[in-house]
Amino acid sequence: MSPALASTPTTPAQWPEAVDLTTRPVALRTCDLTLGFGSRTVLQGVNLGFPKGTVTALIGPTGSGKTTLLRSLNRMNDKVPKHWHQGDVLLDGQSIFAPGVQLMALRRRVGMVFQRPNPFPMSIADNVLAGVKAHRIASRQHHKAIVKARLSEVGLLDAVSDRLGSSPFTLSGGQQQLLCLARALAVGPDVLLLDEPTSSLDPISTEHIESLLRALVPALTIVIVTHNLAQARRVADQTAFFYQGRLVEAAPTARLFEEPSEPETARYVSGRMG
Amino acid sequence: MASPAATSLSGAGAREPLDLYGRPPWRRRAADRAGWAACLLALALMGAPLVSVLWGVVGRALPGWRWDVLWQPATSQGGGLGSEILGTLVIVAGVVVVAGTVGIGSGIFLSEYASGMAGSVLRAGSEVLAGIPSIVLGYVGYLALVIGLHWQFSLGAALLTLSVLTAPYIAKSTEAALRQVPTSYREGADALGMAPLHAMRRITLKAALPGVVTGLLIAVAIAIGETAPLLYTAGFTDNLPSLRWAHNPVGYLTYAVWTFYNQPSNVFQDLSFDAALVLVVMVLVLIAVSRAVVARAGRHAERN
Repeated sequence: MSPALASTPTTPAQWPEAVDLTTRPVALRTCDLTLGFGSRTVLQGVNLGFPKGTVTALIGPTGSGKTTLLRSLNRMNDKVPKHWHQGDVLLDGQSIFAPGVQLMALRRRVGMVFQRPNPFPMSIADNVLAGVKAHRIASRQHHKAIVKARLSEVGLLDAVSDRLGSSPFTLSGGQQQLLCLARALAVGPDVLLLDEPTSSLDPISTEHIESLLRALVPALTIVIVTHNLAQARRVADQTAFFYQGRLVEAAPTARLFEEPSEPETARYVSGRMG
Repeated sequence: MASPAATSLSGAGAREPLDLYGRPPWRRRAADRAGWAACLLALALMGAPLVSVLWGVVGRALPGWRWDVLWQPATSQGGGLGSEILGTLVIVAGVVVVAGTVGIGSGIFLSEYASGMAGSVLRAGSEVLAGIPSIVLGYVGYLALVIGLHWQFSLGAALLTLSVLTAPYIAKSTEAALRQVPTSYREGADALGMAPLHAMRRITLKAALPGVVTGLLIAVAIAIGETAPLLYTAGFTDNLPSLRWAHNPVGYLTYAVWTFYNQPSNVFQDLSFDAALVLVVMVLVLIAVSRAVVARAGRHAERN
């Protein structure tokens, strides 16, 4: 095991078994969200709440709209040509689409990690600081401490402490993804969106990131898109199943996998539909 | 028994394993060699003029080389190239500032903001500008600046004319370089809530720097080497450049190369080759410096 992954924050055995989702306030909620591109409708009337301090997994076959939903939660779809939407997304009860909402502020509160690690072409330390500098969160003399704190938070510090000035592209894929996670955490988001964050990583890095996600709740609210059903079972408090642009079913993870109420969910989670 | 091809296609039956030591047919080998030979020949054809120019210039300039050529002003008896060297440096510095700012700015606009109709029109306009012969631009500069604005032969007229000539190249290469920047960088910056200009300065433009520098390099090489537009706008003088914007002509090296070569005296002909050597060295130094800049900026870059 590489040094970067030795300091795993928690082990699967310590993961919380069940969180009562009904009693928690909602951090983020979609209200009858319908959206598409041009003449194509990608999501149809999605109503889904993301309880504060929990992990929600979005699952479903390719093209079911789960990634599109994720990307609309911090308005990353805005730039896509011919993008349109109806309905709303509420962050702490406030519409993120309301006129006057500052995209820069929204994305500082709702951070995102992508499928492929995408460190910036600057030193490892500068990558962690990219958002900190952009938002002028801390003065120069605190930068070094922030870099160390964030890198150790994701368990990467030991592996890179002697080469903070080097290029991030000398790191392994898993380490690059951890760096991207540290970069996203450094601006202090309330919600973290993850788009299949481990699909390009090896099993050990995957396990490390999964336990890291568990360690980040309940301080953060996490939404993760995954194709890996086992991963959803391991990390998510709540799981939402999407099929053909509709939210078929959302439930506490164990219930969705063991007693799904919809036949489509049952077929998907049992592997009879890919 | 069925033919071997048929059995291998169907995947059934025994198939002869492919002989690892079997040489490809002679035709393919010949075509391969011919291709390589053609590429080498092309390379040699490109390199030959370079070697010939270097040989001619260095071979003629070095034997009688005097270091004081670099700072002595020209006199009626000969002297040096001090004022021409300084003049060329001042003009080039001005072009870097003016054409660099305008060209890089236009390139950013073309790649990030200009879309659809407006973008096409701007791009076409820039290409037309790049295609206009330099002597025509020189004449336009003469009419507009030297005569029209009463600047007379001057530094201002020279560097603005050269800037119009070179800015399209910088814009084009900047735009092309920005388009090559991976989408993942832009998305990463967006997801962090970076302001567009901040992301442009810190990430996108930095990733595009090699292309931008290449554009600047071409522009500066053109500015160093052009003669025709300067004949119309800079005039010529043996005096040191005054650094005034208008009313004072500027001396420059390409003029020395051309004029001194046509003088009957050997002293001036030698000066002409000295000027050519200085020009060549300037361009080489420029290329070396820009390579170093790109290497330093790209030390954290992704290598594919």
